[in-house]
Amino acid sequence: MRTTTLPRRSLRPGRNIALPVVLTALLASCGAPGAQSPLSDTPTDVSTSIGDEPVTLDVLVSTPDVPLYEALGEAFQGEHSNVTVQVTGEDFNSLTTNVPRLISGTEVPDLVRLASFGNLVEDKLLTNLDPYAEAYGWTAWPQSQFASTRVGDDGRQRGTGHLYGAGPGFGLTGVYYNKSLAEQIGMSEPPATLGDLEESMGKAKDAGLLPMMVNGKDGGLAYPLQNLQMNAADGTQVVQDWNYNTPGADIDTPALVDAATTLQGWSDEGYLPDDVNSIDQTQAPARFAEGEGVFFPSGNWQAPVLQEAGGGEIGFFLFPPDDAGEPFTAMTAAGVLAIPTKSDQPDAAAAFLDFIQTDDGARQSTLDLLGLPPGGPEDASLPDSEPGSLVAGTVESFQMLLESDGLVDFMSNSTASMHANTLIPQTQLLVAGKTSPAEFSAAIQKDYEEAEK
Amino acid sequence: MTRDAGTRPPGHLVRRPTVGTPDPGPPPGPHPARRRRRPARRWSALLWVAPAMIMYGVFVLYPLGQSVQFSFYEWDGIGPATPAGLDNWRAIFTEPELLGSVLHAFVLIFFYTVLPVSLGLVAASLIRELRIGAFNTTARVVLFVPQVLPPVAAGIAWTWMFSTDGLVNQTLSAVGLESLTRAWLGDFTFALPAVGVIGFWLSFGFCTVLLLSGVGKIDPSLYEAARLDGAGRVAEFFAVTLPGLRGEIAVCATIGTIAALASFDVVQIATQGGPGYQTMVPGVEIYRLTFLEQQVGQASALAVFLAALVLLVIWPIQRLGRHE
Repeated sequence: MRTTTLPRRSLRPGRNIALPVVLTALLASCGAPGAQSPLSDTPTDVSTSIGDEPVTLDVLVSTPDVPLYEALGEAFQGEHSNVTVQVTGEDFNSLTTNVPRLISGTEVPDLVRLASFGNLVEDKLLTNLDPYAEAYGWTAWPQSQFASTRVGDDGRQRGTGHLYGAGPGFGLTGVYYNKSLAEQIGMSEPPATLGDLEESMGKAKDAGLLPMMVNGKDGGLAYPLQNLQMNAADGTQVVQDWNYNTPGADIDTPALVDAATTLQGWSDEGYLPDDVNSIDQTQAPARFAEGEGVFFPSGNWQAPVLQEAGGGEIGFFLFPPDDAGEPFTAMTAAGVLAIPTKSDQPDAAAAFLDFIQTDDGARQSTLDLLGLPPGGPEDASLPDSEPGSLVAGTVESFQMLLESDGLVDFMSNSTASMHANTLIPQTQLLVAGKTSPAEFSAAIQKDYEEAEK
Repeated sequence: MTRDAGTRPPGHLVRRPTVGTPDPGPPPGPHPARRRRRPARRWSALLWVAPAMIMYGVFVLYPLGQSVQFSFYEWDGIGPATPAGLDNWRAIFTEPELLGSVLHAFVLIFFYTVLPVSLGLVAASLIRELRIGAFNTTARVVLFVPQVLPPVAAGIAWTWMFSTDGLVNQTLSAVGLESLTRAWLGDFTFALPAVGVIGFWLSFGFCTVLLLSGVGKIDPSLYEAARLDGAGRVAEFFAVTLPGLRGEIAVCATIGTIAALASFDVVQIATQGGPGYQTMVPGVEIYRLTFLEQQVGQASALAVFLAALVLLVIWPIQRLGRHE
């Protein structure tokens, strides 16, 4: 019976608890935790030259992006023989989780893929790229591409202030559709209005097809929701201000309640899968490519894979506006790379950032390997995509969006916890009918304000 | 059949002292003698204990103290911290999301402790009847296999089994219960019990094997005596097996309860706290607060609260398991 009885003494709580409590009390009286004197985040002397000394650039990105960055790294090494680009991949979620500790430690990567800024700017962990933007002439490029990576002096408000990140290309959301299933329900071209889309979903339901595949387990419901919100609000300003943490921003408006009502209606009508809340972003595209679902709202990062899996059967269109001819809107975000303050190669890292945005070969790789249309200077050449292919479709859509000025950041990126702690559970509650559209809208704003405190 | 002092075999009262139980108490004797011998013993003992004490202090007490300290601050884990008074502690009791996560953990105790111990007792009693041999060994091995799997692997495997076209739904359809099939982990009513089933699956084998080894140590003459007194299987179970396994049950209950209250891996893998907040447990909440929301102070308060709660719940179980 060796294992059955704990030592009797451990059963006497008084003596046991006393010691830790005393120690704890002693410790608790020590000074406050955390850094007391923040670093400086603005480099004083920047250079566009890498020099001739051997340099190793450590680039940390999320795992699916590794092939792209390896290709970009190789191309960069071709130009600068003294540079070695070392790419490390980490699962996106653990990357998001670990970045603050990784870049405040001692072994710091020179470039790191960011999902959100959180407190990184406030804690001075990221290099202010303004001097590099000046040196490389990024200031002369269309500035809207940098809006989401500018952070104000308060460390919170985005869209204004200093530049803290840049990237090779842009994510973009829209709706994929299965061409042969669309034909079955008499849909010969992508829906031009929201009404057309809903009508087609109704027909699909009547024909015994699943109208819309969507990954509710990890946030896919937020895409149609945000598009519906922008449609109902007749514009993007409210959500953009909200995303950028503009003081006083409030999204708890009739537009969001309307959007939530519509999305909940789709669920009630049976337009979404029964198991929507247990489908993740790996299963959703796989099931959609196998023919489950007429529509699939998602992003251009799925295009290279769906193009291969769908065998030309899959098309892409921008989420339709309420009335034909109104401007299109979509969620988009740059694949952001930032240079940690503690990097000892900021010049080389900035040179790499400039290279991936301007070099023709690099821009082509960005599109081929990740499906992301590159940003960069206004007169830069557009990379080629196979005419008529799915990737070409997403690139065309991106051009259409640029023309209608409909690029908006993701609601998920508004605060560090908005995606996991608020949008995912709240959209799940919404489509399951466990919360009302008004409650939903209020909950989103409440969590946002709490995170902003 | 209820327990009846009259039918209880006399052997129960004269149980042999448990072998191997550490006896931490001081040797019986008059107080003055103890007092006289103590100082010298204490110093030499301290020397032996010192290495362990230092390790314990550095790796357990110090971090614990730090967590308590952090819980009184608002801190993102990197930058300067600002004192927060009792705000973080107050939030535990006023934020429905935080308190809800604690309640979910208590629901899991049923699956991690109550079910495995009760069914483990049944299984152990049944296997005891089996003759030692291939079948007996097989039964033990099969029951113990989940124990060698990391909970993360179990979480992934069960995520597939609970999926819409997974094994659970296939089985239900095969036996004509198609109406019951659903996406278990995405269902608001069944997600928490489904997560509980994974926990049950993980702890059932451990409990059964531990209880079995306990059964093996019960003096066979007790069973003989019970039989002679005319006890049936059920009476035998309540009169001999159950009292004899008191210590093992306490260990199972302790470990299961800690696993339930501190659960993280299975939930994070299977549901991430969803759908909605339906399976949110303190472990996942602490992780999110720390790493996603960068609210180290709030996370520390919840973590310290959870630790205290575990101690509070475990304490009566330990008392019940104590031999008189």
